[in-house]
Amino acid sequence: MLEIDNLDVYYGAIQALNGVTLNVQEGEVVSIIGSNGAGKSTLLRTVSGLNRPREGAIRFKGSEIQGTAPDKIVRMGISQSPEGRRIFTNMTVQENLQLGAFTRTDNEIQSDMEKVMDKFPRIRERLKQSAGTLSGGEQQMLAICRALMSRPKLLLLDEPSMGLAPNLVTEIFNIIGELHKDGVTILLVEQNANRALEIADRAYVLETGHIVLEGNGRDLLTNPKVKEAYLGG
Amino acid sequence: MNLVAGLDFSILPQQLANGLLLGAIYALIALGYTMVYGVLRLINFAHGEVFMLGSYAALFTSWALGFTPEALKNGAEKPSSWMVLALMLVVSMVVCGLIGVVIERLAYRPMRNQPRIASLITAIGVSLFLQYAGGLFLPQSPPPAISEQVNPYRKDSDNVRLTLKDAPAALKAQAKLLDAEAGKAEAAYRASEQQDPPGHTTAATEDLRQKYQTLERSAQKVEGEVNGQSVKLNIPFGQLIMLITTIVLMLILRHIVMYTRTGRAMRAVSHDFDSASLMGIDVNNVVTVTFLIGSALAGAGAMMYATFLRTNLTPFLGVTPGVKAFVAAVLGGIGNIPGAALGGILMGVVETLVIWLGFSGYKDAVAFVVLIAVLLFRPGGLLGSSKVEKV
Amino acid sequence: MKFWGVRLLSFVLAFGFVYGLDVVTQTAFPNLYRLAVLAGLYVTLAVSLNLINGITGQFSIGHAAFYMIGAYAAGFVSQHMYASQPLGPVLWLVVMMAVGAVFAAIAGIVVGLPSLRLRGDYLAIVTLGFGEIMRIVVQNVDPLGGAYGLNVKPFGEPPKILWLVWLLAVLCIAVCRNLLKTSHGLPFIAVREDEVASAAMGVKTSSVKVTAFVIGSAFAGAAGALLAHSETFISPDTFKMDVSFIILTMVVLGGTGSITGSIMAAVALFAIPEWLRTMQVMIPGSSIVAGILAVGIMVSGFRWVQNNYHESVSKRIGAYLACVVGAAVAAVVLSFVLAFIPQLAQQRLDVAMLRMVIFSMVLIILMLLRPQGVFAHHEFSWDWLSKVLRARKGVTA
Repeated sequence: MLEIDNLDVYYGAIQALNGVTLNVQEGEVVSIIGSNGAGKSTLLRTVSGLNRPREGAIRFKGSEIQGTAPDKIVRMGISQSPEGRRIFTNMTVQENLQLGAFTRTDNEIQSDMEKVMDKFPRIRERLKQSAGTLSGGEQQMLAICRALMSRPKLLLLDEPSMGLAPNLVTEIFNIIGELHKDGVTILLVEQNANRALEIADRAYVLETGHIVLEGNGRDLLTNPKVKEAYLGG
Repeated sequence: MNLVAGLDFSILPQQLANGLLLGAIYALIALGYTMVYGVLRLINFAHGEVFMLGSYAALFTSWALGFTPEALKNGAEKPSSWMVLALMLVVSMVVCGLIGVVIERLAYRPMRNQPRIASLITAIGVSLFLQYAGGLFLPQSPPPAISEQVNPYRKDSDNVRLTLKDAPAALKAQAKLLDAEAGKAEAAYRASEQQDPPGHTTAATEDLRQKYQTLERSAQKVEGEVNGQSVKLNIPFGQLIMLITTIVLMLILRHIVMYTRTGRAMRAVSHDFDSASLMGIDVNNVVTVTFLIGSALAGAGAMMYATFLRTNLTPFLGVTPGVKAFVAAVLGGIGNIPGAALGGILMGVVETLVIWLGFSGYKDAVAFVVLIAVLLFRPGGLLGSSKVEKV
Repeated sequence: MKFWGVRLLSFVLAFGFVYGLDVVTQTAFPNLYRLAVLAGLYVTLAVSLNLINGITGQFSIGHAAFYMIGAYAAGFVSQHMYASQPLGPVLWLVVMMAVGAVFAAIAGIVVGLPSLRLRGDYLAIVTLGFGEIMRIVVQNVDPLGGAYGLNVKPFGEPPKILWLVWLLAVLCIAVCRNLLKTSHGLPFIAVREDEVASAAMGVKTSSVKVTAFVIGSAFAGAAGALLAHSETFISPDTFKMDVSFIILTMVVLGGTGSITGSIMAAVALFAIPEWLRTMQVMIPGSSIVAGILAVGIMVSGFRWVQNNYHESVSKRIGAYLACVVGAAVAAVVLSFVLAFIPQLAQQRLDVAMLRMVIFSMVLIILMLLRPQGVFAHHEFSWDWLSKVLRARKGVTA
């Protein structure tokens, strides 16, 4: 569904991604793990069109999308829940969800909102509240809900567990698992390698802009290199 | 003590009303500054010049409708109607809206990812360019003003008069009585004067004259007291239209921003560019719409400023209202739409109060004094958030 | 040893330059004497604003206020006290510079203090507002001449002080350069780059910011004192908001933070309008519009080449040339076409306006094509010069 081919991305003179090649098949959960500054968020930003690659191609359902404007990419069916949640704290929860469905003009937005809220009952309780008053976990849930509102074919999740208490991390990953069961294709970027590998069909390890390892999620969990570097021995 | 003694409190409400009307114009311009700042974090210095071009658009529209100086020479009269005013308003809003969009497209969009100070310099450049290019091509000496005849409600009898506080009935009765007596005394004196031989005044007539003058003087004194104790408002009808139009435009703006899809997109972009584009919002479109709306509001303000306040038009007329409106936007909390409206009105009222206090030489400085005072105690403006900003 | 040698050389060259400039201008170009004085003042103003704005990163856009305070303080004192003191004209001028500097520095403290609380655009507005307030106050104070202005003629004749003006400029450059190149300057740059981080490193950000304001405004004040004496007449209109904008433009156009850039931009931006003032040709309005449009076409061409054309250097230069030629052709064609509009063809021409039109266009175009400023953050230095010379030699050898 998504194929990334030999991608080079620069910030000015600094190279953030170097020859990154990976793919995501329909219905899969693919995780990318790596430490701070490895280029994980840059990768997702580039897929979403927020960064322009200098070299390489990104193909979504067969057509090249590198260099396309971010809003057009969302319309094609790629939706992202960005790093640090970035919800609109100056608006209500409901308005955030409406913005998630910004690209849609059909009349099923309301029913979709109901469906999403069935999955996240806490969001329903807070619907009329200002999004800035939500707790960290609730904000993360809202960010995922918001991304789902566009009915994405591919969901990009950037560090959904960042800054959350362990029980909330469990909750978030349960939800990702449920989305997976519902058939949503997910590309997940995480520092919490353990959880990310457990949930993934396949996974990639990103180090200073290079893909250094790839494979089945379970296999990587037991890989001694991964164990040493990302799973705490 | 001395300061207060010299003040005329009976005209204070009138001054406040004038300030409100002036403030409404500032508010309209301030909205454009604040919207653009909210979305792009750019102080659009050229906004005052958009305002200037709007007043010229109104002038040319009035000329196109036959209110040219040539046609109205030698006291010729030309009837007008509210439709003329409406047409001028629409034309000036449309012209300004388009100019704003073109400026953004040509000068600001290429600077989007550059340091903020570079865009600021570009904005200053655009502002200077419009002033001086306008100076080359726009009529300016003697500065033309929009003909008063455009305003169908210009007669004094059209003014809206309100009596806020009347003088005591006894005083008014006394004034009436004295007035009548003075009238009678005058009649008696005139009659006696008629009977006198020409060139000679008899003692009786002189007596009557003095009696009449004493009465007249005390009648005037009581009349003055009546005026001093009653408080009246006198508002030209045109300015009332101006105020109502402003309020209507602001309500429309509020509706657009709060309850429409476009407005939601505008708020999203102003909060977070990247996040907004991840929602599928075309950020460039939103910026264009923001400039369109903000500049159109300035156009509305410009038309009313030029028509109802009888301003002379020069290519530099946008500078002072522009700066004041900008200060108003900061005062309310820049980026904050209700704040701009509040700041504008406050600015207008403070300005007229300063004139009323007798410091008209300082009326352009007071805007900044208020601003600095507010910023030092509430760095984010009256309604703005006071978050620390890194430039 | 090398250090002091270079320093001595710099001193000698600077004094030689200043003295030579005065003599040459007086003898060979007496018409340019006044312009050379004003150019020197603008250099001082731009470099001193660069200290506040470019080096310390405090967004100040009201520099004309300090200039005005210095001018009025020195002018007022000079007018009332010159007769009753024993100093000669030159020493007196130096004292007056000190007076202007002190008053402006006090104002600098007053403006610097809010900068502790305000940042970015808000600070910019406060500095702008301060400038306007001071100007309007002066306009309303009768002993200072009010709106009519103040005569400053303590010596009768206006003094020939070009050398003093440029000495001040050199001093200002030296102070800023030494600040930038030595460890004293690091806190200033740290505050510009990241205030929170530098505070965490132990930099006293408050005193750094106020110091920058004080030094910057003191130089502007001294420049104002010299302006008052050389022009012999100052009025509030001399120090309008536009002057602040022009100084700010010099700093940004030269490259924010670059002293060399500020100097060059000050001279260039001062010279362009003055040079245009001397051109008294008649151009029909249609040609002006055609010219403006053609420049627009050229700039968009340049931008396209900048962003989309990644060929070799010579090919790029060719592409730029093609843009210039294309624009020239467009200018000719357009001026023919537009000449058919009678209102444009018969437009009278106001040279002063045209001057500022060109000035503002230069401003916009430079910002569009090189937003980091002409010199960006580069500096001229002896090391750089010797490196360039050596490289040149290496090429020829």
